Amino acid sequence: MITKHKAPTTKQKAPAKPSWLKVTYDQKKVDKMQDLLSGLKLNTVCAEANCPNLGECFGSGSASFIILGPNCTRACRFCDIPHGHPKDVDLLEPLRVAQATKKLGLSHVVVTSVDRDDLPDLGADQFVRTIKAIRELNPDTSIEVLTPDFQGREDCLDKVIAAGPDVFNHNMETVRSITPKVRNRATYDTSLHVLKYVKEHAPKTMYVKTGIMLGLGEKDEEVYQLMDDLRAIDVDFLTIGQYVQPGPKNYTLREWVPMKRYQEYYKQAMKRGFKFVASSPLVRSSYKAKEELEAVENQ
Amino acid sequence: MIKEVHMPKLSPKSDEYFFGKWDKQPGDAVKTGDVLFEVETEKAISQVESQEDGILKAQEVATGDTTKVGDLVATIEVA
Repeated sequence: MITKHKAPTTKQKAPAKPSWLKVTYDQKKVDKMQDLLSGLKLNTVCAEANCPNLGECFGSGSASFIILGPNCTRACRFCDIPHGHPKDVDLLEPLRVAQATKKLGLSHVVVTSVDRDDLPDLGADQFVRTIKAIRELNPDTSIEVLTPDFQGREDCLDKVIAAGPDVFNHNMETVRSITPKVRNRATYDTSLHVLKYVKEHAPKTMYVKTGIMLGLGEKDEEVYQLMDDLRAIDVDFLTIGQYVQPGPKNYTLREWVPMKRYQEYYKQAMKRGFKFVASSPLVRSSYKAKEELEAVENQ
Repeated sequence: MIKEVHMPKLSPKSDEYFFGKWDKQPGDAVKTGDVLFEVETEKAISQVESQEDGILKAQEVATGDTTKVGDLVATIEVA
């Protein structure tokens, strides 16, 4: 007998969240952090992307700043950052990030940005200004940048490399076959080129990092192919975490990936020679980035 | 003294959440930091901790309810 399946309705509630998606939330600590940050007129990727780890990270006084926002010039289907008309570049923003880093006493700071395809330098100069401002006020803080692909432009990458962050991160986001379905104006090969170029041109002391999301419909062999592609260009760090669909208009979640697969991917990635791998449902590219860098430097 | 517990803002982008479940029942002793209840937001299940020491007096919402930031969720009797 053929069973007739009902066509899914658009108003369906998303599939029940697995228990490992539980996070704790201490309002007093989060409020304190938000007061501090709003006073400095800064955007965090934590709040802009509605991150599930916000309670934990804000509770422990850590945050990732997103510069050149709040609007992004690209509309990637997995992302919760607003797509819209970009604002003028705020030349005082780098100083405010540096001041916030100092105020929060961060020993490691992550700076990311929206895509700025509208700017002649695609936003590279603001990264440079921000790195310099942080260094001036916080000489002992390690700096991690999570950059756009800069359309693969090497002049932009050269500028950011020359500013000397400790970790250069650019996310692949997903495997090759799914990239065109979820990313906008970004390609698998451009992102690989970015990572390869940085690895080849940065000093040996600068770590190169990337991250992917799971649950978009990727297959094991595609994930392993991606790992091989990354190791062929000697990428140092890999982060793997669960995609959580931000809203009904975003790319449909295909699967809550079971913990066993994260463990398998961790083993496979370590076997391939990454210096550090974080593979767990709640891992995000900047989640516990400080601990990651410390682990590698103590090796 | 009775203290009211209101729904905190658990997600920067939304003010309406599905109420998950209670971890404490009326009459239970609660301490600051104990998980009181769970709420489902877009990207996570948030466990909300008590900000008071006392006895949980009443639950004002139930599993599956849609709750808004600021809604009265519970009362706690504090010494």
